[in-house]
Amino acid sequence: MRTSSDHILTSHAGSLPRPDDLIAAWGANDERALAEKLTASVADVVRRQKEIGIDVPGDGEFGKPMAQRINYGSWWRYSWNRLGGLDPHGPSLYEMEPRRSSPGYVVLTSFGDRRDRTQFAAAYNDPESGITTGPRPPAPICVAPITYAGHDAIKADIGNFKAALQAAGVEEGFMTAVAPGSASRIGNSYYKTEEELLYACADAMREEYKAILDAGLVLQLDDPCIAENWDQINPVPTVEEYQKFTMARVEALNHAIRDLPQDRIRFHLCWGSWHGPHVTDIPMRDIVEVMLRINVRAYSFEAGNVRHEHEWKVWQELKLADDKLILPGVVSHATNVVEHPELVAERIVRFANLVGRERVIGSTDCGLGGRIHRQIAWAKLEALVEGASLATRRLWR
Amino acid sequence: MRASTDHILTSHVGSLPRPDDLIEANRARQAGERIDEPQFQEKLRMAVSDVVRRQKDIGIDVPGDGEYGKAMGQRIDYGAWMSYCYHRLDGLDFTGPDMHAMPPRRSRPGEIVLTGFADRRDRVRFAEAYADPESGITIGRRPPTGPVCVGPLTYTGQAAIAADTANFKAALAAAAIEEGFMTAIAPGATTRMGNTFYKTQEEFLFASAEAMREEYKAILDAGLVLQLDDPALATDWDMINPEPTVEEYKKFATVQVEALNHALRGLPQDRIRFHLCWGSWHGPHTTDIPMRDIVDLMLAVNAGAYSFEAGNVRHEHEWKVWQDVRLPGDKLILPGVVSHATNVVEHPNLVADRILRFANLVGRERVIASTDCGLGGRIHPQIAWAKLEALVEGARLATRQLWA
Repeated sequence: MRTSSDHILTSHAGSLPRPDDLIAAWGANDERALAEKLTASVADVVRRQKEIGIDVPGDGEFGKPMAQRINYGSWWRYSWNRLGGLDPHGPSLYEMEPRRSSPGYVVLTSFGDRRDRTQFAAAYNDPESGITTGPRPPAPICVAPITYAGHDAIKADIGNFKAALQAAGVEEGFMTAVAPGSASRIGNSYYKTEEELLYACADAMREEYKAILDAGLVLQLDDPCIAENWDQINPVPTVEEYQKFTMARVEALNHAIRDLPQDRIRFHLCWGSWHGPHVTDIPMRDIVEVMLRINVRAYSFEAGNVRHEHEWKVWQELKLADDKLILPGVVSHATNVVEHPELVAERIVRFANLVGRERVIGSTDCGLGGRIHRQIAWAKLEALVEGASLATRRLWR
Repeated sequence: MRASTDHILTSHVGSLPRPDDLIEANRARQAGERIDEPQFQEKLRMAVSDVVRRQKDIGIDVPGDGEYGKAMGQRIDYGAWMSYCYHRLDGLDFTGPDMHAMPPRRSRPGEIVLTGFADRRDRVRFAEAYADPESGITIGRRPPTGPVCVGPLTYTGQAAIAADTANFKAALAAAAIEEGFMTAIAPGATTRMGNTFYKTQEEFLFASAEAMREEYKAILDAGLVLQLDDPALATDWDMINPEPTVEEYKKFATVQVEALNHALRGLPQDRIRFHLCWGSWHGPHTTDIPMRDIVDLMLAVNAGAYSFEAGNVRHEHEWKVWQDVRLPGDKLILPGVVSHATNVVEHPNLVADRILRFANLVGRERVIASTDCGLGGRIHPQIAWAKLEALVEGARLATRQLWA
């Protein structure tokens, strides 16, 4: 994995705005036209990242279905098409029955019963509040052994991305894949325990992780559930109980990436990208050590929105193991206002002063695609690059 | 004006979310539907009483009337702070174009003019985003027409401002609050409308200053703190196309400051605060003029305190401006430490960090924690109140550190 050896590198969390014709192709029923559109769109989006100065680009997650301009869920719903053993016609996650946790018994409740959503019900239910979440499709139910069935899809994704990287002359690129903890947030009538389902997801998704790594790419594991499950447990559990609950997900993830080249794996943590108040987000301090137990080289996390910006201070007390990197979010999907490059630089320098300049890659809070208008998304990436270049000037003078 | 003598005081920029029944009553009244006027006035009085009590309950030290007397007839409304004055000035005709429909006007070196809203530079650069109803850059329903000045401007809002000050003073007394603020529009922002009467923009500006002075006096005579809303000082920059030089802009804006100071002559500066902002719509704001370029203009306004945006990602870094700028000895600042620009509620620790940065530069007694801009009409009511609570909690955290 590239490090910021002579300047602050830039990357982002994965999802980028899809062009309208690709969105239309995902909504239509023409496999060949879609495949062609994908190849061309991925080439374009990689070239554009290179042009504006993103050092470590992704494929924009274009191979993960998104048939709407506003869509917060394609980063994980894509796995529903790549896993066998699922009945696709379950209730949407919002319509599932609420489930109450109790001391010693921690379970995830429905999306509709999330605590922030309950506390701000009027705001969440107001179509004018700006808390859009896009489509709410039926969620699958696991009814048979989970298997990986996405071989063709991941092969096509990799083929498109590698061709695009080569055409643009870019040495390193990353591709995202959903982690077992987040993939297992579906209905289940087959496995006896949540843990069995979790490990079945781990074993199945491992095939995708291997494919991405075998292709020479950087693998980014998307696992917001490590942070945002906290809000999906009702009533609020103790931090200790939550950490224990979450360690099971970390262990399943470590199981899935056992023996894989850690140096080319990065991990993405976030608190959910919807435009809500987020007052029930668990503090970084309470989960950072759990996150650092994940056997990867680099950690990406939100640090560029007003609920988590102050948490750079967490790194005053923590020791980041010597060979590890961080990718703090220094621009965010959480506001339409484009970050001033000076602010971006200020944020980067704060992290660099604590963990060392070589170990910070400037990144985004979360994916920008589907969550913010495309013009604004690209302006934010430009602000990121400009801010990183200001920070570089200060850190290498 | 109260200062943060023993703790960081909290206030906000003015507009708070209106209750639905007041919005509906405003809508009906504006639409000319038959309504019971005494009943409307009673509803308004009660709403002001409620909103003042609620501010007190959550711990806002210097509350406002929520700008409830400035009619908002829809839930999303970014313009009531400005449009209210159209109903308090004589000399206007309402058959002109709305500001979004005004034609573009090009500036040239030596000839700086404001262009139409649709030709603003950020709006042009991000035309697709501004035009997309799903982008979140809402500005509410636009009125079909706008005012044009066609005769001598005179102030006709005596009854309205008397009702506003009476409602607010009664609410303050009932909640046992010593100090409250009321907003009024500054001349610079008033004169963005069309004008066919005055020969020059400067004449128009000073006429507006004379007219609005009556409102300023009424607020001050009532013993309240007067807040002058003048986003024009900062947002006009984006409304000049193509971009002028900073020098030319400052020359253009200095006239507005002079007009405002003319309107304020002889009035008690100690009870006047000034609000600067870069426009509260949820756009990219990439063409905002840097604070550094206008801070001396702002400080030339004869006010005792200055409120400005510092809690959104375009202006958060500008706390550093106060490393170089000397704030005159008796003046206060009200930096925005929570913002309408994101639905995410600021973490109280972030609020405290922001307050501390300012307090360390200008002194703890001279910082009042505030919002970037009005929250009413710009963000959902539940989120607006949660942000005010975060503001209060953050100010408490900052107080503990600053008075430790």
